[in-house]
Amino acid sequence: MAEPTVEIVEGCRLPVLRKNQENEDEWPLAEILSVKDIPGRKLYYVHYIDFNKRLDEWVTPDRLDLKKLQFPKKEAKTPTKNGLPGSRPSSPEREVKRKAESVSLATQVTAATPVPSLPSSAEASQASVYPAMRDSSFSIKAREEHEQLTSLTTNGTTRRLIPSQPGRKRKNCVGTEEIVKVFQNNSPRSSTVYLPPGEDSQDSSDGIPSAPRMTGSLVSDRSHDDIITRMKNIDCIELGRHRLKPWYFSPYPQELTTLPILYLCEFCLKYLKSLKCLQRHLTKCNLRHPPGNEIYRKGTISFFEIDGRKNKMYSQNLCLLAKCFLDHKTLYYDTDPFLFYVMTEYDSKGFHIVGYFSKEKESTEDYNVACILTLPPYQRRGYGKLLIEFSYELSKVEGKTGTPEKPLSDLGLLSYRSYWSQTILEILMNLKSENGERPQMTINEISEITSVKKEDVISTLQYLNLINYYKGQYILTLSEDIVEGHERAMHKRHLRIDSKCLHFTPKDWSKRGKW
Amino acid sequence: MSKLSFRARALDAAKPLPIYRNKDLPDLTDCVSINRAVPQMPTGMEKEEESEHHLQRAISAQQVFREKKESMVIPVPEAESNITYYDRLYKGEFRIPKQLIHIQPLGLDNELPDYDMDSEDETLLNRLNRKMELKPVQFETMMDRLEKASTNQLVTLQEAKLLLNEDDYLLKSVYDYWVRKRKNCRGPSLIPQIKQEKRDGSTNSDAYVAFRRRTEKMQTRKNRKNDEASYEKMLKLRREFSRTISILEMIKKREKSKRELLHLTLEVFEKRYQIGDFTGEILNEVTVPLAEKTVYPAPISLPISSRHKTENKIKSHKIGPKHLHPFPVKPEPHFDFVRSHKKYNKRPKLDTFRQTGWPERIQTINKADIKQYDFHSSGEEDYPLSPASEPDEENDPDGVFAFRRKAGCSYHAPVVDQSCSPHWQQTGQDQLWQRNCLTALSVPRRCIAVACRRVGRGGRVVLDRTSSDLDHSLGHLDPDMLYPSAGSCVPDLPVHTNTNSHVSQRSLTQLLGDIQACRWKFFRPRPLQDNSRAEDKKGTPPVEKGGGTTLSNSVSGGFTEEQFQSHQQQLVHMHKQLQQQELQQNSTAAEAHLHLHTLDSAGAHFAASAVINTPNNENRPQIASVNGVLPNSGSFRQVKVNRSAPSGGGGAGGESGSLVRSPQLAVPQSLPHGHGHLSTVSAVSPAHTHHTARLCAPSPSALKLASVASSLDRVPKVTPTSAIDIARENHEPERLALNGLSETTVAMEVT
Repeated sequence: MAEPTVEIVEGCRLPVLRKNQENEDEWPLAEILSVKDIPGRKLYYVHYIDFNKRLDEWVTPDRLDLKKLQFPKKEAKTPTKNGLPGSRPSSPEREVKRKAESVSLATQVTAATPVPSLPSSAEASQASVYPAMRDSSFSIKAREEHEQLTSLTTNGTTRRLIPSQPGRKRKNCVGTEEIVKVFQNNSPRSSTVYLPPGEDSQDSSDGIPSAPRMTGSLVSDRSHDDIITRMKNIDCIELGRHRLKPWYFSPYPQELTTLPILYLCEFCLKYLKSLKCLQRHLTKCNLRHPPGNEIYRKGTISFFEIDGRKNKMYSQNLCLLAKCFLDHKTLYYDTDPFLFYVMTEYDSKGFHIVGYFSKEKESTEDYNVACILTLPPYQRRGYGKLLIEFSYELSKVEGKTGTPEKPLSDLGLLSYRSYWSQTILEILMNLKSENGERPQMTINEISEITSVKKEDVISTLQYLNLINYYKGQYILTLSEDIVEGHERAMHKRHLRIDSKCLHFTPKDWSKRGKW
Repeated sequence: MSKLSFRARALDAAKPLPIYRNKDLPDLTDCVSINRAVPQMPTGMEKEEESEHHLQRAISAQQVFREKKESMVIPVPEAESNITYYDRLYKGEFRIPKQLIHIQPLGLDNELPDYDMDSEDETLLNRLNRKMELKPVQFETMMDRLEKASTNQLVTLQEAKLLLNEDDYLLKSVYDYWVRKRKNCRGPSLIPQIKQEKRDGSTNSDAYVAFRRRTEKMQTRKNRKNDEASYEKMLKLRREFSRTISILEMIKKREKSKRELLHLTLEVFEKRYQIGDFTGEILNEVTVPLAEKTVYPAPISLPISSRHKTENKIKSHKIGPKHLHPFPVKPEPHFDFVRSHKKYNKRPKLDTFRQTGWPERIQTINKADIKQYDFHSSGEEDYPLSPASEPDEENDPDGVFAFRRKAGCSYHAPVVDQSCSPHWQQTGQDQLWQRNCLTALSVPRRCIAVACRRVGRGGRVVLDRTSSDLDHSLGHLDPDMLYPSAGSCVPDLPVHTNTNSHVSQRSLTQLLGDIQACRWKFFRPRPLQDNSRAEDKKGTPPVEKGGGTTLSNSVSGGFTEEQFQSHQQQLVHMHKQLQQQELQQNSTAAEAHLHLHTLDSAGAHFAASAVINTPNNENRPQIASVNGVLPNSGSFRQVKVNRSAPSGGGGAGGESGSLVRSPQLAVPQSLPHGHGHLSTVSAVSPAHTHHTARLCAPSPSALKLASVASSLDRVPKVTPTSAIDIARENHEPERLALNGLSETTVAMEVT
């Protein structure tokens, strides 16, 4: 029970009760990300450390083990090397550690506060861009915001900020001591941490937060993360027959995030605030399949190709839905340079979305998949592998090898590894020895046959432990358990792509001028 | 595993790897599993995530068991799939088509509202439905429009009225409801929308802003070319579509005419039967006079889009007199200007339309009419489908004098309201006499009654015809009898006029008297010979003499290059004179003639080829007249062709002979086969004049358009569309005026 004397704030860590898959009680360490006051009681948003963010949840106080409560360590004068490992969203502690190191490089400035998260940094940087506009109220605002955010916790940014000090820009290039003076002249409560210029050259311009890169669909640089995007914002999504519990944040209109259920039209994926609205919408929406061209059909499985530039509304709606289940997906930019391949399953009501993958029209990095998702109700039934297989079928038609965009998620890694393993083993095991000689194959050949990028072939061979060095040369060895495991797996894999059913002509987007 | 004592070569992806089964390798233990030489491949995951508990457990489970175990699966939040009301929600069934589904790109945008009614709205709807019938979609459309018209500020009730066009009670109740709902709304809009980026960059890190536009284009250089090419293609496509529309329109017209003909034939037959005309005597009696009028042949082949325009114009001609002038419309053939496009060479062509005797159908302007204005851009191809049989001269009647745009030269738009001041209408009939003068043409020799002159592009004189009560009698006047005695009017002399006369109705004799006494102006193009003679008079504008010579006569009389040169000089001189005169006049008049200053050499050619007479502001009456001349001796041959035309091509000759016979309709700019601008005088119907006049009436949109028209060179192409657009929107009689504008501009673009 929550003791009234102890205040649990954001950033605190403590064991929180959760049930594991065997329905046993566990008390993993968790971090409080947010506290919500609803009349009568408090709710805590917890992130289980070393567990994926998708398991984060709102918990009642009775699930908290207050005896082992650790307060956020705000003061970190001496960097602690035993920072807690694991959870990716960096905790204040780790942040402080990182920052403290960098600060110590500058001088022995007691930078006690963690680096603020972006809203304040954006403001501060604006202030530096418009020095004339910067006034006291501005910096006060930034400070307030910072204080609030500090207590919340911070993101992983180590973005250096430019102090809101007149003439600072000139002094900028003078040297470290100068900077330190400027810093010391500042209020000790100042939110920002000033690092000397030159230490981080690419960011020494005006401190404008750089926009994410414009290619690809995933972010590995989480510096733009903040507390908002770390928390799920949608409780529940109703899509056709299914109710989905989102795993991650998705930028649906903010006024819809408070709803107990967000309703989506099953076919056009439009978001609606109530069942009544959905009902009304359905009188007007006559889609019974994704609004694109069907390029594959076998049995009840179909694939539709949707151009992110031509069908923006659907593409955006699809991305919003997908973001609920893809942590690294970014919706920062428009959908124009992407194609969306939506896999559907047909029944008498129409073509129901099962999963999709997106693909850059032109990839500079041999990506043949940007984001890929099987919707939760269809997961663990072989659809993911089907999607992956389809993506490689497209690459085969294009005559290219491809690889999924990085970073992979945990489920993505497992799925891809499994697909690669099965695909490569399938080839290796079907090789017949010609005129008595041992069958052999180059990695390049495997890559060409499968359209799997060479690096992925090698990593799979490594992962399966197939590569051995024997009598002065590399050989591939197939152990019994590999063969057996593969045969068992293939026996279960009944959903396959039939390349004869694919009606796809790749377009040369580079010649089109537009995506 | 023993440590390798030697260094393994790097793994070569191009080198064949023999594949062994473990059982084939008894000495497998000798085989060293090394991954050392092979660089460890990254998993592609984020480091911190890679260490997550469930993933590690799943990976190790896979390594050990080579297959998935239920308990080792990465747990995910649950999903339910038991929505019971699904079948009620998604009604109906969808049959799977045999073919793969192929979506039509245009089929996607329907006009249905984005706004979806909620239960609160339903309550209101039910309440409203007690008094009237309001469909949910109607309600949603209203809400949708209100929402989409509002930005940060809500639309006002006034704006809402314009927006919705519903009856007041409904409007008020929905509007009030909407305002209330909007105020209670948490979001920025009642239609939930993804937060948009702000241009100032303040939303760069807003987590709820998504789908920002990519500011940089990934490839620019390559795109530009493609953009242009595809733009050109689109233009071409659009033009071809518009031609298709025109063709279809014409087919429609033709079939309608056929039907009418059938009906009429039937009617005639029935009538004949009723009066017992079995021998056809009565019929013959009746049909003889009609025969004259029906000789006009089918129009010569025209680029179709321009013909369509002509139809458009004629429609309003038909409308015009009916509404505005009480006198009857005579069933005579229409002549009108049409515009054809050929490499920027706008060339007047003649078109004939049979105006039928039966009641006119006032056609509303449909979308196709508006869309058919085609736009030109460089590199655009000519009409590839235009009939190849057309002789070359047909395509290029102006020859070397064809109008071509020159770089660095600014072309002013033709002045629309040159001849009509805003007071025109107020002062009525009296002013009509003041502004206009009696006009005659040299080919054919006849009076076209009262008209007002203005200068079109290239210095052509356009005659805007005006109706008057004397039209009929004036039309039969012999132009020659009106000439004042030679030398009696030197334009420089102030000529006394009685234009200020307050007599509202003049008699014909009074009028003729006025003219002969030079109290009232009479305009007539002067034959060539006079021109060359007038040269001697050193710049004094030529004075009309007897004028018994027609244009063709003068041409055959030997028009040399010398004559032409001198004529040109004379023209230039006249220009200067006129400009000076204008400068002395009020500033508006000066502005109106500004275009004269901007004539470049190409324009000068044109001016030479055109009749130049700018009698300009009627404040200062004068008798000045210049006739139409041939551009130079180069086109001599063509003229000869023309001369032979009347006898040869009966139809064409008939046309040229009857150029201005139609009392209320426009006169063509050029003869169908006479490739020079023999007659650049255009007479415009009374309706037309009226329209032009109405432009000056305080209709804001029309005024705006007029000002645009005078400021933009290309406006004639654009204005008609927008004019009609506005007219369509307002559904007001103003439309006629705007049509008038469109005609004016189109007609002027002929040059």
